[in-house]
Amino acid sequence: MSWENPPVPHEVNASRESVLAEFLRLLAGLGICVLALAALLYFAGGWLARWVPISTEAAWVGDHVIGLSGLDDAPADAGNAHILAQLQALTARVAANMDLPQGMQVRVHLSSSDVPNAFATLGGHLVVNRGLYRRMPSENALALVIAHELGHIKARDPIAAVGGSASLALLTVALGGDARSLAPGIARLVQLGYSRQAESAADAEALLGLHRLYGHAGGAAAVFEVLDDYGREHREISMPTLLSTHPADARRIQRMRDAAADWNGNPPLVPLPVEEETGARP
Amino acid sequence: MELIIQFGVIAFLLLLGLVFGRAAEQRHFRELKQKELILREVLVFSEKHPPADQEFRSANLVVGSVVIAEDYFKRIAASLKSLVGGRLTAYESLMDRGRREAIIRMKQAAREAGASMIFNVRIETARLSESDSNRQALFAAEFIAYGTALVPATRP
Amino acid sequence: MEITNLDSIPGKAITRHLGLVQGSTVRSKHVGKDIFAGLKNIVGGELKAYTELLNESRAEATERMLAQARAVGANAVVNVRFATSNIASGAAEVMAYGTAVVVQ
Repeated sequence: MSWENPPVPHEVNASRESVLAEFLRLLAGLGICVLALAALLYFAGGWLARWVPISTEAAWVGDHVIGLSGLDDAPADAGNAHILAQLQALTARVAANMDLPQGMQVRVHLSSSDVPNAFATLGGHLVVNRGLYRRMPSENALALVIAHELGHIKARDPIAAVGGSASLALLTVALGGDARSLAPGIARLVQLGYSRQAESAADAEALLGLHRLYGHAGGAAAVFEVLDDYGREHREISMPTLLSTHPADARRIQRMRDAAADWNGNPPLVPLPVEEETGARP
Repeated sequence: MELIIQFGVIAFLLLLGLVFGRAAEQRHFRELKQKELILREVLVFSEKHPPADQEFRSANLVVGSVVIAEDYFKRIAASLKSLVGGRLTAYESLMDRGRREAIIRMKQAAREAGASMIFNVRIETARLSESDSNRQALFAAEFIAYGTALVPATRP
Repeated sequence: MEITNLDSIPGKAITRHLGLVQGSTVRSKHVGKDIFAGLKNIVGGELKAYTELLNESRAEATERMLAQARAVGANAVVNVRFATSNIASGAAEVMAYGTAVVVQ
């Protein structure tokens, strides 16, 4: 009988496969899963939010304009009151041509910001910046912007965005994050624009409304020219988000031009009244 | 912003664990190999009955123990692997290191006592308690190997 | 390959004692089974997923121990012991160790 201790292969108990490679693979897989879940939740939340009745949405929001800070609100002087009255009148005319659902109330606000921008937010509020009003070459162009925002309101895009981000906040909480850090993001989201499809749908609605109002869609493409100029001048500042001009927008501009193809300058574009305060309009 | 800092801290800890934890693990494995070679003359068995045909002067209990903790990278890698299940390779090498180190220390104690064999060896692992409320604490385990060291009557 | 937790194999003579061999593994079930086990914990009873996990682990630890025994030229392992320890919630380490021997 012999007693010995030959060397044993210890490798069998600790597989030498790379832990790092496995870790990276798993991390990538987890990332994809979380992103897919986030996308699913975002769309599910948006879809559910569209079922909220318009009256309920308006009652929730009340007079509070989400996305417009108090400082931004234009002071109620004579000039502003005049512009606001004009905007309200134009909005009412555009809205009459857009088949808005029963009970949908649109309230227009004027912001003193000089950035050419406008946005629709929760509860049927529509905010137009003075900077946009000042730069619009014709009433037709301004009507297009308003019609575009009304298109968003009609499609319930603001509340869908909020519903989607609320589900994302839930996911963040489930993953152990702090949902409060998302709240300012949600408020900003309504200003950040919507998905490309939502923008296209709003464009189509807007062109339809414009056509019904004036009998043609002329002057629509001018909106993009104004925004393009502004973007070139202010390269350092972030682009106004209303109709930001990333490459895909070339198609949108083309659609605006196509829609106006049957218009040959007759009837002429409706001019905007001269702004009393600043004097001449370019 | 807070989120970015949080992620930055995690990534930094991961990198730290990966670089230093790996270097330490590889060094430990090299040391284990050397020491096992040196201590080969001390024989280890899990049987209860020592050889009947040899004479022994004395028998003493010898113990070797070590506490080993995971590094941050292992912790994250293992919790990630737990999502899909299967072998937690990161922990397997940790357990292997701990157990071999405990046996080496037991053999060292036996050699100091002049023993040539250790019988009825048992190996145990105990997780150093970490309350469930404190999930940040790293996993650490104690490995203990013990047996009866037999000192031969005639020194070889 | 014979495995026993006796000191010897009855009816057979051990000719060579080849020392300690061990096998161990750390395993976990996927998170879905963990969640289900957590729910099952409320009412008690057998946690099938974990029974299965430990059985699989024990089989693998034994297989690894036998791999070591084969590598040193043994044809039996005597005095085998199992030990289980928990690592993290839902993950377990199982170890098997014994003495590799050659029997006739």
